Amino acid sequence: MELREDIGPLRRRTVFLFLLVFAGLGLLHLRLVDLQLVHGAQWRDLAENNRLRRLPLPGPRGWIYDRRGEVLAENVPSWELLLFPDEAENLNATRLFLAQAGVTDAPTFNERIAVRRIGRMAPLVVGENLSWNQVAAIRSHQSDYPELTVVSRFRRHYPSGELTSHIIGHLQPVSREAIEADSRLEPDTMVGATGIEVAEESFISGRAGERWVMVSAVGRQLGVVSEIAPRAGHDVGLTLDIELQKAAAAALGDQSGAVVALDPRSGAVRVLYSAPSFDPSVFGGRLSRSDWLALQEDPLHPLQNRCLQGVYPPGSTIKPFLALGGLEEGLIDPNATVFCNGSVVLYGHRFRCWRRGGHGFVNLERSLAESCDVYFYLLGQRMGIEGMAKWLRRFGFGERTGIDLSFEVPGLIGTPEWSRQVRGTPWYPGEAVSVSIGQGPVLATAIQLARAFAFLANRGESVTPHLVAMPSATPTFETIDPDHLAMISNALTAVVHGPSGTARRFASLPMAGKTGTAQVVRLQEGVDADDLAPELRHHAWFVGWAPLDEPSLVVSVIVEHGGDGGSTAAPVAAQVVEAHLGQPVSPPDAQATPPPIRTPDNPQGAG
Amino acid sequence: MEQRIDPWLMLAVVGILGASLTTLHTVSRVVGSNLLLRQLLWGLVGILVLWLMSLVRLDIYERLAPVFYGFGLMTLVVVLFAGAARGGNKAWIAIGPVTIQPSEFARLATILLAAAWLAHRGGRNLRVSDVLIAAAIVAAPVLLIVLEPDLGVGLTYLPVLAAVLVLGGLPRWVWIMLVLLTVLGLHATWQYVLKPYQKDRVLTVFEPERDPFGAGYQVRQSKIAVGSGGTGGQGLGRGSQSQLRFLPAQHTDFAFAVWAEATGFVGGTVLLLAYALLLSRIGMVALTSDSRHGLILAVLIGAWLVFQVLVNLGMVLGWLPTTGVTLPLFSYGGSSLISTCAALGVVQSVWRHRLVNQ
Repeated sequence: MELREDIGPLRRRTVFLFLLVFAGLGLLHLRLVDLQLVHGAQWRDLAENNRLRRLPLPGPRGWIYDRRGEVLAENVPSWELLLFPDEAENLNATRLFLAQAGVTDAPTFNERIAVRRIGRMAPLVVGENLSWNQVAAIRSHQSDYPELTVVSRFRRHYPSGELTSHIIGHLQPVSREAIEADSRLEPDTMVGATGIEVAEESFISGRAGERWVMVSAVGRQLGVVSEIAPRAGHDVGLTLDIELQKAAAAALGDQSGAVVALDPRSGAVRVLYSAPSFDPSVFGGRLSRSDWLALQEDPLHPLQNRCLQGVYPPGSTIKPFLALGGLEEGLIDPNATVFCNGSVVLYGHRFRCWRRGGHGFVNLERSLAESCDVYFYLLGQRMGIEGMAKWLRRFGFGERTGIDLSFEVPGLIGTPEWSRQVRGTPWYPGEAVSVSIGQGPVLATAIQLARAFAFLANRGESVTPHLVAMPSATPTFETIDPDHLAMISNALTAVVHGPSGTARRFASLPMAGKTGTAQVVRLQEGVDADDLAPELRHHAWFVGWAPLDEPSLVVSVIVEHGGDGGSTAAPVAAQVVEAHLGQPVSPPDAQATPPPIRTPDNPQGAG
Repeated sequence: MEQRIDPWLMLAVVGILGASLTTLHTVSRVVGSNLLLRQLLWGLVGILVLWLMSLVRLDIYERLAPVFYGFGLMTLVVVLFAGAARGGNKAWIAIGPVTIQPSEFARLATILLAAAWLAHRGGRNLRVSDVLIAAAIVAAPVLLIVLEPDLGVGLTYLPVLAAVLVLGGLPRWVWIMLVLLTVLGLHATWQYVLKPYQKDRVLTVFEPERDPFGAGYQVRQSKIAVGSGGTGGQGLGRGSQSQLRFLPAQHTDFAFAVWAEATGFVGGTVLLLAYALLLSRIGMVALTSDSRHGLILAVLIGAWLVFQVLVNLGMVLGWLPTTGVTLPLFSYGGSSLISTCAALGVVQSVWRHRLVNQ
């Protein structure tokens, strides 16, 4: 307990301290008078001339290379014109000026202004890829339009152009939803729209930085206030082989179609070419919109990636898989023969073989080598549609292959259930007969066939096609009798190397495969396929592998309206195989004996 | 005999908090609107803490002071090892969703201990050994805070020491010695302690145009913001300095500049008057208390708060270097707000129990 007398001096000192406090507060108030009342107008002028700008610094995207290190996507310097709309006194005048300078037209400009995002203090890109003359014109009027700034940035460029446009894809301005979801995204960011550009977006995209600069009333930069450096994205190496891609494009020429080639051992995609292709430079801008409308309306659909999205009846190319199913089910005796006289009547309807005169007695190997339809009509009838569908699914038909590109379609395996539920019409037994030769309600993509043939080339190991990295799923082994696989392989070798194989023109190449012809229209009696109008001609298929020993490339080719597979699709495949093997083109040699084939009975392949 | 809490002090607190929330609202487009909600929540918690602290009797504060002080030092040590770094300072401890800045709370513990010690000592002038004890009580937490390093918060401990010395009373020759030591200390600090960027901040006070985009940038932008407010202000949410982000740290250190830009001389004066009311009520509490301990507590707390007000406003108005000292009850920040409310709760406790010795 203290004495009251002790408090006296304390109170005196307290009073002293608090007098100091009020002196301090009074001084601050005088300062407020000075700043706000006396010099307020001056400071206000300064505030109005003070322009702080935030310049987004886009993070450079990673480059894309093929397996040989060829550049498929790069960044090249480009002049861009930025508009700070909040600083403009008269946007109409700015619009007029830009239209006169040829930088952007009025509708595009208006559209850019309409989508401006206020919250981020971000400038709008109103001009891209400016020429020197345009840059000079803008700079010379800089003081009239202080809200405009020319900056040097990067623009995406695809050196391989049309050759890889379906694979690499292109960029597009980031969507409004994405900006709202991620506060770190700059409104004018370009993000992947299709292809590898979108599939690898998270890996390849850079992180934007920003720079705050002080500018004068006429738009001159006075100083940098702060800066966060942008971060570049990662580079991506593809499994693609640009030389093979070139060979495929050259071989297809101006025909529409698709070529897929992959390494059957890993699933690494070497070729993925869809024709006709398009020039990727029409995309990738924020502004240009007119050029690619033409592409969208082109009747040949150049924007479609036929490798993944083009669905065609597989024709005879599915015969090896039905045969394998038949062998596994014990429905086929490989040595038993069927007599083909050119047609067979099933379910009261005459089904024709492609060879009018018939093939005579055919066993399994000849049925594939010469692609006898009657043999497979009868097999299909025995397997039934459910049996065929079951086996086709096991080889990946009717489902996406899982390649690391978007917009792949699954194709179709028609079944009675599908007919009821989707098509809404009853299933006709005769349709199963059509399915047995890959016609009717069965549709496949080039990449599905490439994957299915990789399974055969691998002797029963299935892979997932991929362009970037090995998928995490390990290859799966189907429990297929190796003897049966060898029979099919031998038969497909005979397609190229047998005396009457449908692709014997290419016997000089160590290649095996299967031709296929997919009807676009059902042939009327007495009409020859070659007489059809070009847009009604059959689609031509060839799917095969090379070399015969240790296959390292599976090639799948579809030529739209190409006629028959042996004469239009197989040459394309042959040219890709030649480029792959590094062999020169040599004329077909009638005397060539087929190279020995490895079978379980003859593991060394000794002749 | 229990008394009620002082309504004038509460009026000042609620008024300043209201202005603070208004300011946060006007800059929510720049700093995000969730800060406003958080500060509102902290404000409500703070007022609750204030009321609870006011219920505690002064002798309990006296008895528990060493415990609080020890605990405060411990958390300051913990934060050095386990603290979360924010902008280079390891000053925060994360507990679930909230991060706590122990240096804000350790200051109140230091005040409690210093007040208890001074009240216990009796009425005569301080001797040199007493000065050393008082300095040691304040220096221990300050050293730990400087290690974080958080110079701004460390500085706010110094007025506590100064107030202890003034209240305790010193012979004239000791005052002269202290002034000399301070001058020498400042010189040594300038020569050996301050980093170049800190020197730049000091120099720009004397030469505002030295480096308008570097060290002088913040102060210059702050002066432009305050000055352009003029008499009546540019209106809430309208000031170009804050809305266009010229002004840095506008919800924390420079929050007053946003307020002054929006509400002008009128609003600035009102806020200054609110602080004057707050501080004069603290002074009134000190002078009407019948207990030495109560008086000392109120004065030490008042000294700390007025120091922060003067240093922060001096910085915002371009008179003092930028130090990171916040404006109590006004700048955004939960730890600072709650520790300030807790301290004002102690002041209210002094008010409630002012007649306890009669």
